Amino acid sequence: MTRFSIDIWGEMCPIPLIKAKKKLSSMQCGDILVLETEHSCTSRGIVVWAKANRYIIEEKEVANGIWHLELTKTHD
Amino acid sequence: MKKTLQTIIHGPWAYWIGAIILGLLNILVLIVRRQPWGVTWNIEIWAEWIGTNLGVLSDRGFTFEGLMAASGTYLNLGLLLGAFWATLVASQVRFRPIRDKKFFFSALIGGLLMGYGARIAYGCNVGALLNGIASSSLTGWIFAFAVFLGTWLGSKLLLKYLM
Amino acid sequence: MSINSAFHSQRKWNIGFILFLTLLLLLLSQISIRLTLITALGISLGFVLQKSRFCLVSALRDPILIGMTQLTRAFLLLLGISILGFALVSWGASQSNIPLSLNIFPMGVHTVVGGLLFGIGMVLAGGCSTGIIIRIGEGFAMQMLAFFGLAVGSVLGERSLKSWRYTFGEWPGIFLPDIFGWVPTLILELIVLLTLWQLARWWQKKQLGE
Repeated sequence: MTRFSIDIWGEMCPIPLIKAKKKLSSMQCGDILVLETEHSCTSRGIVVWAKANRYIIEEKEVANGIWHLELTKTHD
Repeated sequence: MKKTLQTIIHGPWAYWIGAIILGLLNILVLIVRRQPWGVTWNIEIWAEWIGTNLGVLSDRGFTFEGLMAASGTYLNLGLLLGAFWATLVASQVRFRPIRDKKFFFSALIGGLLMGYGARIAYGCNVGALLNGIASSSLTGWIFAFAVFLGTWLGSKLLLKYLM
Repeated sequence: MSINSAFHSQRKWNIGFILFLTLLLLLLSQISIRLTLITALGISLGFVLQKSRFCLVSALRDPILIGMTQLTRAFLLLLGISILGFALVSWGASQSNIPLSLNIFPMGVHTVVGGLLFGIGMVLAGGCSTGIIIRIGEGFAMQMLAFFGLAVGSVLGERSLKSWRYTFGEWPGIFLPDIFGWVPTLILELIVLLTLWQLARWWQKKQLGE
């Protein structure tokens, strides 16, 4: 169980999700991917995508208009 | 009850709920305005007026009074205020600067292409696509197909230059 | 990372802004009730678009880049509701002789070229013209710049429309109910939307299954 994070700060939709998908494919089951964004739609898009993929996703607002996401890779 | 209210205020709402409310509002705009909702034409006439006053464009006869009486002005202003308000009620207001030079160019080029395309096709995603199709006009369906192809080309560009 | 330490409630600002909106609408109502209603509708549209994170770019782009079609299907639902509503309203208007204009635009080569350019542009700018206005409201500098581009581009487009028409010609727009009649048109359009809906669902399943 390792924690990874990728830098998606300031990136426009859908670049964060494409980067996250790429990173995720190199991760092991049980690993956690940490993301942070100030785009409301980006955060929403990643949550919807993760749920559709049946990954565990946690979304938290850490500051005004900044979302902190933690995605657990539950399966390959 | 309190939790429901919290969700309504804070969001985000499900996409399909948004779709239903937007559909009803879109119909209400048609009833009140007697013309479907549109966005770009109003932006264009404001740009014409500003350009004329700066002396860079030839006068096509748009007056300030005319612009202030145009319903499109109020729709666009409302969109801006409404979006800001939606952000504010959730305490999510912040200034979000451009954090990478590449987006400076993509925004400018994208905006230019979009403005040009929207005006030669008589409308944008809302005026020509959504409400073109809603008006049962064949042009709306053709425009939608063209926009989809354009999106596909744009996605290729995005993968190549913006990733 | 510190959780929730940098979060400040913006409630005071919100109350101030609601006061401002109320005053604005009250002032407008002294000038024109119609414009007041339209402003209120505009505010509601902006509010709902932001709250539901509705994005027409995402609806068209995500099936291609991500394989997600949830928003695409929501957009098809919006289209379906609008089609039925517009039909009802225009029927009602013709019954009571109220003038009503629908968006039946002429078509030509420029419809297709315009759509292509618009599609490319909105992916690069991170929002269609509506989306750009919403994102300016959210405070994005990038879309403020895109809005400037949009304004300049729209003037260029409007002023070159004549030469597009002159070079390639233009055909009057076709109002589908004029050809098929109202009921068959509505049935046809809803069948097309339903087919696209099914296609979108199948596409997402296929993309996620991989």
